[in-house]
Amino acid sequence: MKSSHLLACTAITAMLGATAPAMAQERVPPVEIYTTTESYDPIRYEGAFIIADAWRELGLDVTVSPLEFRTLLDRFYSEQDFDTTILGWSGRVDRLDPQFFLGTLDSRQGAMGANNPGGYDNPDYDALYDAQSREFDVEARRDIVHEMQELYMPDVPVVVLFHRDEVVAYNNTTFTNMNAMAGEGLYSEWVPLEAEPVGDRATLRIGGPQEPDNVNPLASTSVWGWKWMRLYYDRLVRLTPDVEPQPWAATSVDAVDDVTIDVTLREGMLFHDGEPVTAEDVAFTFDYYMNSEYSYFNAYLAPVESVEVTGDLTVRFNLSEPSAPFATITLSQIPILPKHIWEGIENPEDLTPDQIPTVGSGPFVYDRYDRGEFMSLTTNSDHFYADNISVDGVEFVIYADAEGVFTALQTGQIDMTAWRMEPGQIPLAEGNDDLTVVSVPDFGYFHMTFNTRRAPFDDVAVRRALTYAMDRERMVNVLLDGRGEVGTTVVAPVNAYWHNPFVERFEFDMDAARSELEGAGYSWDSEGRLVR
Amino acid sequence: MSRRSYLIKRVLQAIFSLWIIATILFFLFRMGLPDPTAALITEGLNPEQRAAVRAQFGLEEPLWRQYVLFLTNAVQGEFGTSFSYRAPVSEIVWERLANTMILMLAAIVIAYAIGVPLGAWLSWRRGSRVDTAGIFFGLMFRSAPMFWTGMIAILVFGVMLSILPTSGMRTLPYDATGFWDKVLTLDFLWHAILPVMIVALYYLGSPLLIMRNTMLEVYGEDFIEMARAKGLRERDILYKHAARNALLPVVTQLAVTIGLAAGGQVVVEVVFSWPGLGREILNAVRTSDFPLAQASFLIMAAFVITLNLFVDILYTTLDPRVSFR
Repeated sequence: MKSSHLLACTAITAMLGATAPAMAQERVPPVEIYTTTESYDPIRYEGAFIIADAWRELGLDVTVSPLEFRTLLDRFYSEQDFDTTILGWSGRVDRLDPQFFLGTLDSRQGAMGANNPGGYDNPDYDALYDAQSREFDVEARRDIVHEMQELYMPDVPVVVLFHRDEVVAYNNTTFTNMNAMAGEGLYSEWVPLEAEPVGDRATLRIGGPQEPDNVNPLASTSVWGWKWMRLYYDRLVRLTPDVEPQPWAATSVDAVDDVTIDVTLREGMLFHDGEPVTAEDVAFTFDYYMNSEYSYFNAYLAPVESVEVTGDLTVRFNLSEPSAPFATITLSQIPILPKHIWEGIENPEDLTPDQIPTVGSGPFVYDRYDRGEFMSLTTNSDHFYADNISVDGVEFVIYADAEGVFTALQTGQIDMTAWRMEPGQIPLAEGNDDLTVVSVPDFGYFHMTFNTRRAPFDDVAVRRALTYAMDRERMVNVLLDGRGEVGTTVVAPVNAYWHNPFVERFEFDMDAARSELEGAGYSWDSEGRLVR
Repeated sequence: MSRRSYLIKRVLQAIFSLWIIATILFFLFRMGLPDPTAALITEGLNPEQRAAVRAQFGLEEPLWRQYVLFLTNAVQGEFGTSFSYRAPVSEIVWERLANTMILMLAAIVIAYAIGVPLGAWLSWRRGSRVDTAGIFFGLMFRSAPMFWTGMIAILVFGVMLSILPTSGMRTLPYDATGFWDKVLTLDFLWHAILPVMIVALYYLGSPLLIMRNTMLEVYGEDFIEMARAKGLRERDILYKHAARNALLPVVTQLAVTIGLAAGGQVVVEVVFSWPGLGREILNAVRTSDFPLAQASFLIMAAFVITLNLFVDILYTTLDPRVSFR
């Protein structure tokens, strides 16, 4: 009796709705913005309030809820229990390949715990994602990558708020030719190779507030571990500062077909203990990683099915499916480990610090690591690249915080900072003639992701309107002190080759926001609240 | 109650306190964090791999077994493996603790060696200008945050005058075969000057003011009157009679200070990039490295409890009025 009554009502409302929308108006549900706490990151915290104010002006009921960082991650990734969340992706060098960031909008990554918590679901996008991932021709792949950015932007499942500049500094009275790299700053794998001493000391001294978790290539899960290890381990391919793959330990990388890649090694390479680097070592390394508990490289190794030794210096990679990022990411990130040292080690993740082998074949040779204090490498004069290297070694001094690093830079104890400076230090460094301040844009980004499974964010018009209402220009100017860039697509502008500048941009415009809402049948009630 | 049974009772009490603290720490770290393995788990791990990593660190065991294991190991000085360093926690903690203690003990010794006689002297000159100045500076350094005094010291002596090193324990790199080899060098002393000075200035206030105030109380006692009546020199009255009796509260304060010193002065260790335990605790908490964090906290607690016990026992010797009841 009751339910049939209700049904009738609904039917009438629906019928009326078609002719007279004003009758069925209901307030848009309140929304909650999750962001970081002020102490964890004041920028994202303040940013949430700037956004909330503008949204309130549009008649939306908004609350800002700062959450402790791990809780925030859990709500967003593991539980997907959120309306809209402000978080970020860091710009790791392997993410310069568009694969990773584009993947964050793939509907197949929409499962709990995966990288698309907003649940954006666009079959056309997914199809293009597969196509670009299979496309070996770089230009053709770029066209697809551009198309994807154009395709998703009008739907705004995610708003890239801004890219923050990394501001670092070096001492110009001790070293020159210090070229910062996007996303890497000065502590890139190229700076030690290119730096030229102008003072008495030829050893490049880097100072940073963070140190590796450990230098075990089968246990380190931090970027600080790998930034250091990559200086003494060679990779088959190395990414240039412009992020082009350049043959390194390999002289050639040839695609026999879509899923078969032949790699030829450089002749005459030696490990630091004098043993030659052979195809056996390469094949062993990949097998070793694939059979280990170590998960840091899982994503890179996923396309590899098997590796065969086809000659002294040739290996063949068999892939399970065509993979365009194989050459850029996989081959440029996996180090070459000496088989004769590692093959006897059963549980490499259990090695204690004094048992960890440190023999690589890279341009620098491991010297020492005194935890909490100091690390050093010496230049490998036998390396094929040695003639291009001017420094005789690299040292890394570990400080407790950014303040200690900056004091050391000012007093000449170190030559460059490994990590971004604090905002207050930048003007001090700029006022110091001995220091050169370098600002590089980041290709990582801070984003606001809408939960597209939930009202009101399931409606494209609402997402578009709310995006128009975000004054990102102001966020960059006020929150970042102008040291950053307003976001556009998930592929950053600094990543020029892959970034598509011709997409819908959503510049701050409250009128456009209102008309977007009106166009979709929204209006405002007597209290100015958004209704539909 | 005999002295012996008193001792046994106090030792048992101390052990009981330690057990309570260990238990609280164990459960606190497992309940306070959303997922204690967050530090271990990297992106791109599927559930099976997660389980494998957890098993590797013994985290798949039932909680009570983990607890029993933790206690048995802790008694033997073993605290498991650090999540981030992948090294035995005990190794890290002992090395860091030694670095902290050398800094703190040096500072405390200096602070008390200067503070106690100075406090006695100020009490003697009570009401004078020196007294006012002494109290003022004692209180000032006691209240000034050490990150501030430390940074000022770095700015003046390190950056502007460039005469003292501002970070670390030694000029890097250095080779040392052991702790003493590292510390018994001029280079170490050179590096220790600024941090030790800052910590010592901070600690100076307590013995100074406690000594001064207790002395003032002691002056009113009959035996001082008696000493005066005997015609002893004012100096002898001050140092031989009054000062000795005023020492007790200072001893208590000293023990507590040394006990708490195990945790280091995090702020000083950070400002001077001193590789001590305090800085390590900060990192451990930041990275959810809870084997390291809980071991550090437990050792700090053990220090405080042991030194309190020691002082209680010492009291029975220093002050015969303390009975065993």
